[in-house]
Amino acid sequence: MRDVIVIGAGGGGAVAAKELAGRGLDVLVLEAGPRWGNPRQEWTHLENDANNPLTGFFRFGPGDRSKPWWFRETPQNSFLWQLSGVGGTTQHYYGNCPRAYPGVFSGYDGADAAMYDTAALFPFSYQDLVPYYQWVEATLPVQTAAMGTKEEVFFSGAETLGIPVQTTKTTMHDSYRPQENAILQPGGTAGFTSDPSQLMYPTATGCTFCGYCFQGCMEPINAPRNLFAKRSTDNSYMPMAMTADAWAASGKAVTLVPNAFATRIHTSVISGSTTATGVSWRDTNTGEVFREDATVVVMAGGCTENPRLWLNSGLPNPNDWVGRGYTDHYFDWVIGLFDHNTGSSKGVGSSARADFPGHGGLENVGLPPGLEAFTMGFSDSGIQGYYDNGLDLRGDWDGPAGRLYGDALKDALQNGLDQLLNVLVITDDDVESQNRVTLSAFPADENGPVAKVEFHQRNRSARTKANREFMANKAAQLLRGAGAAKVYRMNWPPLILHVQSTMRMGSSEADSVLDGTGEARWVKQLFIADNSALANGLGGPNPTLTSQALATRTSENIFRTYFGGDAYVGIETPVVSIDDRVTMAVLSRGL
Amino acid sequence: MPESGLFRPCLFSRRAFLARAGVLGAVVGAGGVIAALPVWATNTAKPSPLSGKALIEDLVGLLRPALDALAHDTLSGLAAFALPGNDQYSVAQGTLSTTAGGVQARGAGFLTQALDDFVPFPSELATPLAAAFSTALADLHLPLNNPTLLLPIQLVNNVDSALSFLLQNDQTIPLSLAVAILLNLLATQVDPSSTLTPGPDLSPFSRLTFAQKAQAFALLEGTESNLVAALDMQLPEPLRDSVSGLLKYVGGSLLEFAAFGSLGEWGVFDAATKQLTGLPVGWQLSGYQPNGVVDGWPEFKGYYQGRQQVTDI
Repeated sequence: MRDVIVIGAGGGGAVAAKELAGRGLDVLVLEAGPRWGNPRQEWTHLENDANNPLTGFFRFGPGDRSKPWWFRETPQNSFLWQLSGVGGTTQHYYGNCPRAYPGVFSGYDGADAAMYDTAALFPFSYQDLVPYYQWVEATLPVQTAAMGTKEEVFFSGAETLGIPVQTTKTTMHDSYRPQENAILQPGGTAGFTSDPSQLMYPTATGCTFCGYCFQGCMEPINAPRNLFAKRSTDNSYMPMAMTADAWAASGKAVTLVPNAFATRIHTSVISGSTTATGVSWRDTNTGEVFREDATVVVMAGGCTENPRLWLNSGLPNPNDWVGRGYTDHYFDWVIGLFDHNTGSSKGVGSSARADFPGHGGLENVGLPPGLEAFTMGFSDSGIQGYYDNGLDLRGDWDGPAGRLYGDALKDALQNGLDQLLNVLVITDDDVESQNRVTLSAFPADENGPVAKVEFHQRNRSARTKANREFMANKAAQLLRGAGAAKVYRMNWPPLILHVQSTMRMGSSEADSVLDGTGEARWVKQLFIADNSALANGLGGPNPTLTSQALATRTSENIFRTYFGGDAYVGIETPVVSIDDRVTMAVLSRGL
Repeated sequence: MPESGLFRPCLFSRRAFLARAGVLGAVVGAGGVIAALPVWATNTAKPSPLSGKALIEDLVGLLRPALDALAHDTLSGLAAFALPGNDQYSVAQGTLSTTAGGVQARGAGFLTQALDDFVPFPSELATPLAAAFSTALADLHLPLNNPTLLLPIQLVNNVDSALSFLLQNDQTIPLSLAVAILLNLLATQVDPSSTLTPGPDLSPFSRLTFAQKAQAFALLEGTESNLVAALDMQLPEPLRDSVSGLLKYVGGSLLEFAAFGSLGEWGVFDAATKQLTGLPVGWQLSGYQPNGVVDGWPEFKGYYQGRQQVTDI
């Protein structure tokens, strides 16, 4: 019997795995997707090969790419974009690590307190979470991003908005800044050349500005796995989890089983309480089913699959909040066309942002041509100039919001992929019970009944909608300030990629699944340690860092409550994921 | 209603469905298919074909290539819609361009492969969906001089049976075909004359102008789409209400997927070597990576205001 079984080796599961392994616990990690152990052979820097959600090496599907992806029902114009595989959705993330805004936590008494999602605050204070933020920021590590051309252009626009530069970790008012990124700084020849012979480790260290963050980071060439520039958990927390005996005095390396789709969480009634006792999973290659028992089970399969697994396991749901309250930051996209080079497709995917606490945030994003076209071809308001579904959305952008399609798409791209600038709108969106995960009426797949994700896009709360309009206008103003000749707004339907709060913790039993320790209210010894545990949408900031800080805190709670351990965060000094002991163990074990 | 072959309501709606889905056009346009049909398929004196499963399978075998061609043609019309180029589909929609577009990028092949090989479209859905498509059209009219209406009744019956058989068999139904049928049904709602005898383009959707194609998608996305609502009502519980959502998802997905596929590298990617066989259309068009994939760029410009670290508060 194991001490802990962690379901999912993504942004949160890998953190729980590493923390508990570092404490010497016997941890089994199940991951539905593959472990890509040899990226130089298995990956390319090509966007369709990497990111096609049906066929790419980054998709929600089995590691055997000849097999279909795993279908989830989405009964509206929308796109659900999460990944299986070790690293989870961090495999394609941009490493952005802003902290949440203080206003989304209990006990906040700033003058703007009423501007946040006050019905769904975290059940503890921002200050309570700070030591865990610091722990994760040190471990990844998180650093102030360097600039390329597109950042220079973004900042030139931000400078016209009349807001200051943020020079602190905590966001306190409207401001702009370089991202705090989990990306190693460029060293040596990195960032100065395209000559591959000059981009080998250790001649080059850290980010080489290749522009392929979304296609997975494997730079510099021949670097050890834990020294790839982007600190996705396949490059940071999982290598640590798999080598814990090498860098922690009483650490015990986890057992990782990839290609293992968890199909059921088992429980028993112990001392009158429903208690988690183990997990069954299915080998996605052979179909064989396995089961192991554990003292504690940690769910980290993500915002869509956690509710599915919970419901398929028949676990209790007395207040019907399992799967509800899905926040997705109500994304939108505003694009400026310029008559000079912006370097849009080069460098770190996103290194510049602006924050408007109480409303949301903006960030620059660089894309290759297929993804850029996807972005321009995605809208809830039809095709610009042809139809608008009755949504005539006007503002500081040109014309009504809608898709750029046909000749308009071609013209925009012929202007030059490196003569445009993208601004992603990340809205502070309310937790709403109508946006949720349930089980689909469509046929089950080989792992059981599938998830159905519904978003009532046009029915969002007034605060959410107003926030998005505010942010879209700011994005357009920034682009005009930077000198854009044309500015287009897309009005995206739900692009469910920043995901939060479907198994939320909360202050009240009436509308939460977890208590403030991360333990399930109705199932003892069952914890959740990923984005689904977040109480709300954080006010807009990219969720990974907060999920990882929360997962660290939850892991410490597990250690103290069920394994007789002591608190250690804020007391000990964390080992960094690029520590020599980790590197040597990664190399000697062929990871 | 008079009981002649052309006007029996049930048959009329099936014929209308087949015509509007482009299937009859595909069969007629495929020429050789008609010539190769067994005698019984066009002999009006023969009994119902439903009694001969093997004969149906024969007809299915002849029908499949016509249906594949129909799907490819319709999806080519979609690729040209996303990214016009110097191709016949762009001519047909009125947006001839001097440079390559989605058709040259092999956008139709991209969409076909994505839809057919990698989307497990459950057969439990295909059967009621196919039935729903056809019965939903019972009250719609086609011009009486539509040439496809003049095809022999028995031929239409047999094509219909063959198509139903195709949709009901155990294998995964090609989703590219279902999508092509959907797009063509919408096209004929926008412009009923698009079902006329085929020229170089087989499918109703590919005959539309750019503005008409946009209208077709407006119909699909519109909450009052009578096609979408009619489909839902035809389906049994628990699928009722699920299909309209699925169609809205599919409609939206087609547009962004067609754009993604037309601008990305699929058309020139050799999966065996993981190398490109040429510069993708989208890269040439947008000036992206003219010398191919890199491992880095000389893009490092320093740190904003010289700051490499912020204050930890």
